[in-house]
Amino acid sequence: MNYKRLYKKLLKEHGPEELVNGFVFPVKLTAKQQKEAAEQLAAARKKTQAEMTEETKNSLRLYHLRFRIEDYLDSKEGFNPEFTFGFFLKRYVELLEKKRKDFAEEISIDETLLSQLINNHRMPPDYITIRLEIHSNNIIPATYWIRLVEKQRLHEISTNEELRKKEKKFVTAMITEKQLA
Amino acid sequence: MYIIEVCSGVCKKAVINQVEPIDFATLTKSRYFFTWKLLRQTATIYKLQIDGNDDILGVMALVDHPAEKRIEIKLIANSRENQGKFKQYDRIAGCLIAFACRLSADKYSEGACVSLVPKTTLVNHYKQKYHMIYGGWQLYLESDALQMIIKKYVA
Repeated sequence: MNYKRLYKKLLKEHGPEELVNGFVFPVKLTAKQQKEAAEQLAAARKKTQAEMTEETKNSLRLYHLRFRIEDYLDSKEGFNPEFTFGFFLKRYVELLEKKRKDFAEEISIDETLLSQLINNHRMPPDYITIRLEIHSNNIIPATYWIRLVEKQRLHEISTNEELRKKEKKFVTAMITEKQLA
Repeated sequence: MYIIEVCSGVCKKAVINQVEPIDFATLTKSRYFFTWKLLRQTATIYKLQIDGNDDILGVMALVDHPAEKRIEIKLIANSRENQGKFKQYDRIAGCLIAFACRLSADKYSEGACVSLVPKTTLVNHYKQKYHMIYGGWQLYLESDALQMIIKKYVA
């Protein structure tokens, strides 16, 4: 069965409303039609882009950042030292094309604190993550920022041998293998 | 991202991943309408499943056009039992289209665009159902329309 016949059969069986719930069909265009289609789409998109508000641009930039964070958090790869809370916060401010001073003001924090967070000199308190969620109009939930911090903390705690050595002297007794058996 | 079991109204978490070579044995023409393996060379093919369940409920072929910051939907098909009024699950195609929007926004930020060439009879229905914009031979999602689909199905 070729696809034209399949389409006609399904259209008759389900009707157009149901077909868009379950299909995008292949459509073959001639070379001339393809050229025309490309030109028409380019012209239509030019108009849509010209009409795009700053608000929409900012939302789409934040969705872009949200998906980057999501991909990183959901990836099977472990902690990447580049992708810290500070890295993504810096991207947030850059994507919105804001001066750090102005952004700090918008979430009512000191510019110094913002710099410390961006440069990973401080971990964010919970209230900062909530303010970021509100600032992004819920596009980037507070939980994403918290999960970034957790991923970093989990890595730090599981790889910090120095701290293990240092703390060992404070433990005066430990469960032996024999006791566990 | 979730789909709805029509008979119970229960929402089920959906996951979309790239089709693996082994999946092509499952993607039969009788259940998924098209010969999907023919598209392997020219498109990237994705499958929708319920989280934790191997059964494929929907398939989509995408082509990326980086120079135009656009992702084109070449083909979508829900599995046979998810077609028509008596389908088992709702929102499958919507989730697949929204996934294409997510990929585009992830890659192209505010320049993101998703397009498809519709069958003439379906133009108005795609416009109505997915807020698609008329662009001559093609329909597309961009700007507010693209954001609306992301909000409805992904976020």
